[in-house]
Amino acid sequence: MNSDTDLPRAAQPDFAALKARITLGNAVTLLAVLVLAALALATPGFLSMPAIRSLVTTVSFTGCVAIGMTFITLSGNLMSFSLGASLSAATLIFVATLGAGLWPAILAAVLFCAALNALQGWIVGYFRANPIIVSMASFAIITGVATAVTGGRGLYILTNVAAGLKGNLGPIPGPFAAFAICMLIAQLILSRTALGRRIVLTGTNPRAMLAMGAEPWKAVVWAYALAGLFTGVAAVLMAARYGSGDLQHGIGMEYSAIAAVLVGGTAIEGGRGSFLRTFLGALFIAVLQSVLVLRGFSTEWQRFGMGAVVLLVILLQRK
Amino acid sequence: MPVSLLHSATFRPYILMVVLIAILGKLGGERVVCSRTLYSVLQQFSLLGPVALALGLTMMIRHFDLSVVGTVTLAGCIAVLAGAQSPILGLALAALAGLSAGAVQGTLIVRLRLSSIAVTLGGMLTLIGVAYLLTGNREVAYANRDIARVVDSALFGPFSLRFVIAAGVFVLAGAVIGRTRLGPQLYSVGSDPKAAMVAGVPTGAIVFAVFALSGLICAIAGALLSFSLAAASPSALSNILVPAAAAAIIGGVSIGGGRGTPVGIAGGVLLLCCLQSGLTAIGVAPFLQDVATGCVLLLVAVMDGAELSRRFEDLKRVVVPVRPKISGSSV
Repeated sequence: MNSDTDLPRAAQPDFAALKARITLGNAVTLLAVLVLAALALATPGFLSMPAIRSLVTTVSFTGCVAIGMTFITLSGNLMSFSLGASLSAATLIFVATLGAGLWPAILAAVLFCAALNALQGWIVGYFRANPIIVSMASFAIITGVATAVTGGRGLYILTNVAAGLKGNLGPIPGPFAAFAICMLIAQLILSRTALGRRIVLTGTNPRAMLAMGAEPWKAVVWAYALAGLFTGVAAVLMAARYGSGDLQHGIGMEYSAIAAVLVGGTAIEGGRGSFLRTFLGALFIAVLQSVLVLRGFSTEWQRFGMGAVVLLVILLQRK
Repeated sequence: MPVSLLHSATFRPYILMVVLIAILGKLGGERVVCSRTLYSVLQQFSLLGPVALALGLTMMIRHFDLSVVGTVTLAGCIAVLAGAQSPILGLALAALAGLSAGAVQGTLIVRLRLSSIAVTLGGMLTLIGVAYLLTGNREVAYANRDIARVVDSALFGPFSLRFVIAAGVFVLAGAVIGRTRLGPQLYSVGSDPKAAMVAGVPTGAIVFAVFALSGLICAIAGALLSFSLAAASPSALSNILVPAAAAAIIGGVSIGGGRGTPVGIAGGVLLLCCLQSGLTAIGVAPFLQDVATGCVLLLVAVMDGAELSRRFEDLKRVVVPVRPKISGSSV
């Protein structure tokens, strides 16, 4: 008897909570997703297998970098301008070490990229140096050194060693499978480990970290190292896909990545966000781009559309 | 006086520049330190100077305008496209576009209380998108080649019209900040926005004005650059943000806000341009100049770091362990 009378009472707060969650931002987000989905489905050729395959393959490269960027954003360090340059450098390392075998090359590229960014994280965290300036400086140094070493030329994969990375996992293209796995791993790190919670706490309130007796800079170093790690994965996938290591691979990648992070709804000031959001943000941008291409819009309209969408999403993020 | 000069962040770049010129003169002699190098330094200053000033002004109020790249690019495209008949019209439209882009972003930052990095990131992507849209994703040539000669030929000595305009912007900014009430207000917003608001400083208006000005200054620099090159392209100028930020920071602007002067920024720009022109004249490859710029920027970032002194103390404790003195006499 008692449970009957309790039920509506219990349901009432839930309804209120639901009502509270329907804010302007959420409504617009839902509307945008629905409109885009309708547009995509109404676009001839969107649902064809080749279109979808190419869509999910290209989104994987930006997506993995965006996962890395999310760690940096969550840790309260806004964004890194050097992830694109790190990616380019890591593709070069991958191709250069491919002679030693596939796995050593993957390990070398990913660890190199992680170490490169961990160093930046140490400078940012240990000295509380400005992340924007440090990553800009790193961009210039990485690009300069890489050009000096390679003479500006790309390296090409001449053997068949890396062909396995281009293959499929069942019906899913390999890069997309890797992207999804990366997203899951990153999300597990964030929500299931002490490290993940420390990164978020550093982004929310570094003083609370200090009060807790933990050094915020260690969490920052880890956030940057993980950012480098996932960027390294993107580098391996890209190098295998295009058969080369090249400084051109990463140009502009940091902007696409931060766009995916922000469109997904991770807060730029840090502390709030998730990797599922970044995953969906990257997909949203990729679907938008694909619809624009299939509907015959030129490159310039795609560029403008991307910029406008990112700006709109940022405006909707206000508290 | 000499001691205070050495310690002043405003004059530091000028002192470094004298040292740099001395070193370059030692290395390259007459071939490097000559009027041609001076002209090339001043021409570089004409673009980098205003952009660094615009970025530096936003850094002084504890914001960061990433959209400078977008504004310079878009203004260059507008000036070339709209200025086919009359260069003045092109310049005016470009300036108007830059001013309104800055004003819109300033309004969004103030009214919606959004992070300036986020807004200007979106702004930069949108502005470059508009530039792509206007030019149709191609390089646009400017038919009126006379104007290139007008803006670049020497007015007197090594000074071109473009440099005179850039220098004029600096003088104006320096005079306004040094001589009017706006200067202290600007610094107070940068050091402590809440305290500034309590003290009656119109913080919102100041932030809005600085972003609008940043857009205007960048637009003029971009338009004049396009005239000088007699061409504009939506993808040309992506690598100006790093040297502009470097110049502003070397010139004594703190990313934490509240510090820096236009004179200092001009010094930072001149130092960077001297370094680049000098290294080019000696025959150092451009990518090594990138590395040099990056290293300087990294060094300054570490020196500006909020916890540098604390870490220095940590280091001292590791190197020279402090042991509590145990001596019977004092107890």
